[in-house]
Amino acid sequence: MEEELIQIKNSAVSLVLDAKDYRELEELKIQFLGRSGKLTLAIKEISKLPKEKRPEIGRLANEVKKSIEDTISTQQTRTKKETSDELKEKLDVTIPGIKPSIGHLHPMTQVIYDVVDIFKSLGYQVADGPEIETDRYNFGILNFPKEHPARDTQQTLYLDTRKTNIASGEIILRTHTSTMQGRVMEKSKPPLRAIIPGKVFRYEQIDASHGFEFWQFEGYAVDKNITFTDLLGTLDYFVRKFFGEFTKIKFASHFFPFTEPSLEGYISCMACKRNGCSFCKYSGWVEALGGGMIHPNVLKEVNIDPSKYQGFAFGTGLSRLVTLKYQMDDLRLLTNPDLRILNQF
Amino acid sequence: MLVPLSWLKEYVDIKLSPKDLGERLTEVGLNTEKVTKQDDDVIFDLEITPNRPDLLSIIGIAREIAAIENTKIKIPKLRQGFAGQAKIKKVLPLTIRTDSKINPRFTGIIINGIEVKESPNWLKERLKKIGQRPINNIVDITNYVMFEFGNPIHAFDYKKIKGSLMKVHRAKGGEKFTSVDGLIYHLPKGAVVISDSEKIIDLCGIKGGLDSGTYNETETIFIRVPVEIPVLIRKTATSLSLRSEASSIFERGVNAGGTVDALKRCVELVLDIAGGQIASELFDIRKEDFLSRKLNLELDRLNKILGIAIPEKEVLNLLQRLNLNPLKKTKNIIETTVPTYRNDLKIEEDLIEEVARLYGYNKFPKTIPAGQIPTKQLPYFKNYEMEKMIKNILSACGFSEISTYSLISEKDLLENNIVPDKTLRVDNPVSREFEYLRPSLIINLKKALLQNKPYFEQINLFELGKVYVGSNIGSAQEFYFLCGISNNKNFYEIKGIIEKIFEDFGVNEGGAKYIQIFDEGIYFELNFSDILSKINLSKKYKPIPKYPPIIEDLAIEVSEKITVGDTIEEIKKQSPLITQVSLLDVFENSKTFHIVYQHRERNLTNEEVSKIREKILEALKKKFKIRLKE
Repeated sequence: MEEELIQIKNSAVSLVLDAKDYRELEELKIQFLGRSGKLTLAIKEISKLPKEKRPEIGRLANEVKKSIEDTISTQQTRTKKETSDELKEKLDVTIPGIKPSIGHLHPMTQVIYDVVDIFKSLGYQVADGPEIETDRYNFGILNFPKEHPARDTQQTLYLDTRKTNIASGEIILRTHTSTMQGRVMEKSKPPLRAIIPGKVFRYEQIDASHGFEFWQFEGYAVDKNITFTDLLGTLDYFVRKFFGEFTKIKFASHFFPFTEPSLEGYISCMACKRNGCSFCKYSGWVEALGGGMIHPNVLKEVNIDPSKYQGFAFGTGLSRLVTLKYQMDDLRLLTNPDLRILNQF
Repeated sequence: MLVPLSWLKEYVDIKLSPKDLGERLTEVGLNTEKVTKQDDDVIFDLEITPNRPDLLSIIGIAREIAAIENTKIKIPKLRQGFAGQAKIKKVLPLTIRTDSKINPRFTGIIINGIEVKESPNWLKERLKKIGQRPINNIVDITNYVMFEFGNPIHAFDYKKIKGSLMKVHRAKGGEKFTSVDGLIYHLPKGAVVISDSEKIIDLCGIKGGLDSGTYNETETIFIRVPVEIPVLIRKTATSLSLRSEASSIFERGVNAGGTVDALKRCVELVLDIAGGQIASELFDIRKEDFLSRKLNLELDRLNKILGIAIPEKEVLNLLQRLNLNPLKKTKNIIETTVPTYRNDLKIEEDLIEEVARLYGYNKFPKTIPAGQIPTKQLPYFKNYEMEKMIKNILSACGFSEISTYSLISEKDLLENNIVPDKTLRVDNPVSREFEYLRPSLIINLKKALLQNKPYFEQINLFELGKVYVGSNIGSAQEFYFLCGISNNKNFYEIKGIIEKIFEDFGVNEGGAKYIQIFDEGIYFELNFSDILSKINLSKKYKPIPKYPPIIEDLAIEVSEKITVGDTIEEIKKQSPLITQVSLLDVFENSKTFHIVYQHRERNLTNEEVSKIREKILEALKKKFKIRLKE
């Protein structure tokens, strides 16, 4: 019995080592280990042996079985690899792969995620507010007096107030996300750091660079010692994170009713690397941001003492950031649901 | 505003090249949109911010350039006395009745014996360069001096002023007024006007009247240089949609201290170019003297706001260059004197900006805020991760995101059986196409599906955006909705996606009620704001069961009217040991269910399971009249 088992083992191992391919190994497996395989049949014979011999022979049978199994499996792994290479040789690997059908996120969404992530890393939280707004939050708190020409820079869409007792002109579609300065600040206390992406509306005819609906984001920070140089540094950090570390920013004085001093930020044109192109109107720079130190009148409106606290606010057209980032020449591409556009993102 | 370099050079020496000057002007706040060479001149196209009426004049811009170049401005020297005339030979009568509440300053004079004709070439050329059309010498001079000094001026034909009376008052509303350009306006209530003894002859601060204007036959003129109240001018201009160079200046707040100088300059030019003599006293009816004001700047505050310490000497120098006559009062306080043309400088922060902008923003260091990072959650806080989660699920399911307009048309509403009258509406839409606020996202998604049809076979789109509900603005509410549309997924696939979303968000709800089938495909729309309010993302680990389950399939014949949902419900009810029931297969009225039995603490015996199975069959037979399939 012992000899028989050892013989089975030897012949199995030598056959296995000689086997040419995977299929042959499979056949050997059946031949020896299958239901009526040589080893299986031999093992069945063990029960016929005298009781005292059975454990020893049984142990040997198990060892033989394991050794055959191991040899086959080692050989199989080896031949499998070879077979895979062979199989690949038979394929035309230049045929494009079959891609899973995953949809595309809108470029605006991707840019908002980028912006939010950058400011989150600086300790800002996202806030979100209504698009249907009152004159007070859109203008009043922000130091735009009624009948002030500064309102001309924010041509407004007014909502129909018939069938209500609300005065005509009081309810509007927000013209900027700066509305969230008043809304958030009047309900909280400094220190504050907020970032607000959102849709805004203007009474403007549509063309390649204008629209009646577009996206903006507003950001602001208020604390005891937030300075103008902090604003410059924050904007510089943002544009380098967003557009790439070699992006340059330059500043110019500007006017916004709700900030003083106020500024505009221009960034180096990423389309032409400042060599001049139609995108930057051959100036090498594109207007990208606005901001300033929050006007004391705004802080007073939300019951924050401007002699104790100060802060900066900034904002930009998100739609513009998207078109700048992807060098799109028309704002209308962002509201066009054409998959030929969207599939590019 | 168009500004010729040649004209600027009359008042200020400019060393910078036009390109560099344009860049510096932009840096100090006069955004230079274009610099164009024109013959032997250079024209700057400048964007003037609404806080600076003074920059709507060439001298105002020259002042800024003088500050940049650190030099002095040369203002045209006015002659001694009044226009060099010592004596008034003939005095013509004129009664002026005004009210300082609606007309704070009324400066004017009569000139007799003028000859109205074409302007000299130099004058015509200058006006053309700044985009103005020359008309006649008198009109051109008043325009010229307005652009030079920044004070609007109007010349009336004296003889057309009936009853030699000028009365400033407010319109009752509805009066007809014909402007110099021949257009008829119905005046809004409260418009500030001048009437003679018969009718309205001037729409103050905006446009002169047709009848009282200056024409070839005019011999005597009355020149008026007023100060108007910005709000009143703006209200009228807005309601008439009528804007002029004059009204833009008045809306911003004209230089109230500048009327007499502007009038003198105008009179000198009239006498030189059109001849004639002064024929009245100088009228100057005013509420007050309009003098310069004092405004203090604390150096500590300047440094605290800006974040750098600009040396005191530099601060004084910068303020001096801006003609603010800085005077050191104490160690910390600088007193400035604000000229009447700088009425935009009202508070200390305005002076801080003056210092900073002339110092040059690009010379400042760049820092990042120090201090603590706020940890308290903001009011209106939005967790963007939720939005990311839902958008990722949908894109993983093959849906592409679109972003469409919130404003839609009446036609859009009607096509979707929505009553326009009960939809929020914009009073002044940019076009009828964008008049209503969308109460649903599907309207645009359906259009998007059709738009893509010619180019794609399989279209799966979604939008996560706001909808605006309420039958009028008093009850308006905004919600985020999530809407998806597909032309290649079936009901169960869409239902599965919604169920997956609900599962991931921990919301216990079914998906079927949100799904609609239509000619072109299938869509779902749900209230994302509502889901966010029900969200439950807390997770707690449950140990994996130690004991194996018993799994069996149960095939029954049941009427098609009995739903799978009800059947599963009924099966589950029979024992707490049934941990999972799912539908494996349906063929006509035969359904196979996959049932998992499991006990968390021990092995289940076949006997236990067969008892439960009996119970299930009995219940189903009783309730749904099923038959066990052979």
